[in-house]
Amino acid sequence: MKTIGFIDLDGHRLRADPARDACFRVVQRDVDMHEYEEGSDLAARETVHRHMSNEITSLDIAAQCLIEFPDAPWELRMELARQCWDESRHVMVLHRRLIEMGGQKGEFPIATFEWNITCALDSIAARLATQNRTFEAGAMDVVKSLARAFHGGGDEETSAVLDGILADEIQHVRFANRWIKRLARDDRRVLLKMAMAIRFLAEVNEKLATRDGELNAVGKRLKDARDTVPAVNIEDRKLAEFSEEEIFEILRQAGFKSLVADDQLREGTP
Amino acid sequence: MNVKQRADALGTFRFIEVYLMETAAYWTPITPEMEVKVMFGRHIWDFAQHADWLGKRTFELRQPEHYTRRPDDAYVRLLEQMKQAETVSERLTLLYDVVVPGLVRRYGRYLETTDRLLDGPSVLVIERIIPELRRQMGEAQNLRKELAVKTADTSDFRRAETAIDSVVGA
Repeated sequence: MKTIGFIDLDGHRLRADPARDACFRVVQRDVDMHEYEEGSDLAARETVHRHMSNEITSLDIAAQCLIEFPDAPWELRMELARQCWDESRHVMVLHRRLIEMGGQKGEFPIATFEWNITCALDSIAARLATQNRTFEAGAMDVVKSLARAFHGGGDEETSAVLDGILADEIQHVRFANRWIKRLARDDRRVLLKMAMAIRFLAEVNEKLATRDGELNAVGKRLKDARDTVPAVNIEDRKLAEFSEEEIFEILRQAGFKSLVADDQLREGTP
Repeated sequence: MNVKQRADALGTFRFIEVYLMETAAYWTPITPEMEVKVMFGRHIWDFAQHADWLGKRTFELRQPEHYTRRPDDAYVRLLEQMKQAETVSERLTLLYDVVVPGLVRRYGRYLETTDRLLDGPSVLVIERIIPELRRQMGEAQNLRKELAVKTADTSDFRRAETAIDSVVGA
């Protein structure tokens, strides 16, 4: 059977890229992406294009989990199958929006970093911990901020699309949280696998991270990746069943930047 | 059909639906075309739901929940052959022009054979599945037009599929 192999990144074994349309140029580092200064139509299109690409990658990852873990409990496989459909709809709706904005697929470089990391891991718990509980949970923070930014800029359509996607992502994080607990209860070695996965992610992240002052491919000066942690989407993380302690730790890492306070301000809640 | 024969038939259909889910999932990361990936993504969920409905029904027929039964060897070999398809054209043709229509035909035969009153819950499940499979065939057809994907020559495969009278293994 045809399988996607592995590549070496300075001693780390990553999964080789999944297949992409010829129109896409796949890059590895953020500096090679075309992130523009905020506020232009081009920047807005690149943001939508980037998220569309991330959704394609999420679809590939969920599908690959179905293949590589055929003995996972059926109920977990059902969650992954449902996630495939959700990510497919996200790709379609973002592609539709991209075209409405005057863009097209392949207009900007893309990365498949989440696949390269997640599909290098050899247990379903480690993959759930990395893809769903880390990348997708992180995306909940980013997407909430972005939906607000598009709303603030008068682009209600893109804001609504992102908010709809965010609602689906909550379930992807929630089912991972539930299954990780269940798998760890049945086998304590799962916790070790998860810890190793998170350490692996941190090490690869460190190798590829942008450094303060680096210029990206379109001349934007980037900040150190450690200084660009997004505000935490507390509300949705609670819905995704992160514990109070876990949310506090995430908040601490984000320098206590949260989106809940802003929401309460906007709605006039004390 | 008696109760055991109905359970065996539904358990066999469940095997096929799970296999189709896994085939679409296997093809997803190795297929470059975004539109095709996205269609597989939706159909993965369709097949999973069909398997789930069938698996719950087998429990009502004196079998374990998600009772799954391997089909006739010749049919399994065809499924395995389909999974190895290299090109998008072959993948779309084999799955949506041969295997899925064949499955619709086989579900139809079940409906003709069973006691529709006595076996009402199975009938309900299958009557939910058939329109979804037909929708998939239509979606694949439209996508091929949109992307100008040619139909592959699969006449040998089609003949072999048609020649298998019953997929229910001995």
